[in-house]
Amino acid sequence: MSTLNLNLPTLASSLVKSGATTTATTTAQQCYIHPVVLFSILDHFLRRNDNQERVIGTLLGVRSDDGRVIEIRNCFSVLHFETEDEVELDIKHHRAMFALHKRASAREQIVGWYATGSSLSKYAALIQDFYSREAAPFSAVHLVVDTDMSDGQLGIKCLQGSPVGAGAHPENCLFLPLPYELQYPDAELTALQAAADTTESGEGFSALVSDMEQLEKSIAELHGMLERVTTYVQNVCTGRSKANNVVGKYLMDMLAVVPTIDTEQFSRLFQTHLQDVLMVAYLTNLTRAQLNIADRLQRIV
Amino acid sequence: MSADPTKQTAKPMTALLNADTELPPIDVSAIPKQLLPVLDIEKSTTVTRVKVDVLAILKIVKHSREFYPTSVNGQLLGLEVDGVLEVTNAFAVPTQPGSEEDMTNYQVEMIQCLREVNVDSSSVGWYQSTRLGDFMQQPLLDVQASYQASPNNPSVVLIHDTAKSEQSGNLSLRAFRLSPVYLELAKSGKFTTKELAGKGLTYGNVLEELPIEIESSSLADVLLRELQWPASCEQELLESLQRPSSFNAKLRAKKLADRSAVADDTEAATDALDDGLSGLLPTRPTAYLARPMCTNALDMGQGLTGGGAGSLLRQMEAIGELIDDHIHDANQWMYWKRGEAKELNRRQQYVQRKALGNAARVARGENAEPEPTEKELDRMFKVLPEPSRLDALLNTGNLNLLTKGVTQSRGPALAKMFMAQGLHEASA
Repeated sequence: MSTLNLNLPTLASSLVKSGATTTATTTAQQCYIHPVVLFSILDHFLRRNDNQERVIGTLLGVRSDDGRVIEIRNCFSVLHFETEDEVELDIKHHRAMFALHKRASAREQIVGWYATGSSLSKYAALIQDFYSREAAPFSAVHLVVDTDMSDGQLGIKCLQGSPVGAGAHPENCLFLPLPYELQYPDAELTALQAAADTTESGEGFSALVSDMEQLEKSIAELHGMLERVTTYVQNVCTGRSKANNVVGKYLMDMLAVVPTIDTEQFSRLFQTHLQDVLMVAYLTNLTRAQLNIADRLQRIV
Repeated sequence: MSADPTKQTAKPMTALLNADTELPPIDVSAIPKQLLPVLDIEKSTTVTRVKVDVLAILKIVKHSREFYPTSVNGQLLGLEVDGVLEVTNAFAVPTQPGSEEDMTNYQVEMIQCLREVNVDSSSVGWYQSTRLGDFMQQPLLDVQASYQASPNNPSVVLIHDTAKSEQSGNLSLRAFRLSPVYLELAKSGKFTTKELAGKGLTYGNVLEELPIEIESSSLADVLLRELQWPASCEQELLESLQRPSSFNAKLRAKKLADRSAVADDTEAATDALDDGLSGLLPTRPTAYLARPMCTNALDMGQGLTGGGAGSLLRQMEAIGELIDDHIHDANQWMYWKRGEAKELNRRQQYVQRKALGNAARVARGENAEPEPTEKELDRMFKVLPEPSRLDALLNTGNLNLLTKGVTQSRGPALAKMFMAQGLHEASA
């Protein structure tokens, strides 16, 4: 079976009880998305075929045991073809890709599918039905990224299907919004930060910076933030601008994070660590010098 | 619902699948000018820069992070245009041990599947994750050598250091190629002191580093902007804080707003979180506040106590081990050298003895014995071949990389320490 044809049923055929029933019982409550998924979707959209309006693909991820929390970690594209009254998914491709991904990362399962476009495709319910069965016994998640940017932004929507009507028909499906949050593990943040510098450079690309430069930038940013906050606090104190409770609470939380250490203890910690750092730096430099000398000597030999 | 497997209607699908067999004639005028150099397969170019797409970087980062501290690797896909290697995609290669054939099949299948969805299907190298930077290992060089075996192959190896990235808050990604000198020596397989000195191969020029640039498409730019400035962020906060420029300051602010508004709901929802799901998910709402959401470049932990001291310790341990190896290598070489000198000495003595004996015979009026030829001498006094210097060379290279890394990371660490001191004095 290389392709799966999903036809919009006529009225007559829909009256006949269809064999496929939605088995999904547990619904998700929260969804976490990793940034790599969004970037993959955008890349897939950019690489679509001519005359193709939307692209779809499979979402991979992990679930909590009860299936209520979903973490979307990865995705891959699936070939599909839409006509007036038919949609076709390349099941062979989907299966092959899933098998390949499974070998590289065994924990990731099918959790749903994604599509691009400003509105739901008219075949969304049918495709949702297919993915519900792939993701059984859990429900499938549907991620929509508005690549047309109809609202002036990439409206990322996370939906999950819910059957409607007395009889379970795959073409009857209500998409309910699912709260989602983006996940930023530390390692990904560094990559995103570097990429964000790219967009700021305005040239479409930028070179990587050294640790020291990065630190310098961070300090400058921190300085800027402190200055803005100081101005704001002073304005509030002098009554020039209205106080905002949310900001106030936020600042208080921030200040509470600053650790208070005994001065004596601090200076002791500081001194010992400074000595450690300098000693290590000295030793490593010495080692490098030795290596260099050995290298030069070898050339003479 | 009707899923009829026998009904194969779609023409575009079959056309796609047959793309391998029936290639349409190429209209040269339709090809963009900047891609023309790609078609010229006979020209010789050297790669001078590497451009990596955000997507490829994120995939590499994700793969390395999930398997940390195990070292993982994968394939890079892209194109080489006019000396610039553009890496547009990457995929992970399974870590489970499998036969060589399995691995090749996996990669071929993956590339075929990706080609069906118009991803660049030519391999331009591979990536490997590392820990604290001692990646100069024999297997890495061998794999890279096999990539660069054919002339003009633009393949690179990207090295991603997860630990270093997380500690310094700065992406640690480097691109390398093997130097021509190393390739030449590797072909002959002679890594003797004489050859090394003659060809000028040192630990510094086994690998050539290439500058990396990050590239992102316009759509990805939009996404990045939105991640930095979520539109759903509370408007009030936006106005009063005006422009928090750090990458995730907005998100943090949003979290806080959520928390103060619906504190109880969030708590209930997060309580439902399964701990086994992922160590990355904060289990309590307050965790968002304790954990710095902007990058760790300013993380004081590295400056004073905790993780910083731990990483320093690990680095020192690694350096200690390498130095031990280095001494071991040096001793081995000295042992060989002494053996060689001894053999040569005996050989010289033998020749001298022979010469003296011959001189005595001539004086006695007897016939001189024939001089031993070089070949005979070689047979009589076997000098062991010099052990390969490659291991020692790589060891030195690693030591150099590590110490350099430590030296480089000390600068920011010192800066952070003095910043902490300043903060402490201000608050005291």
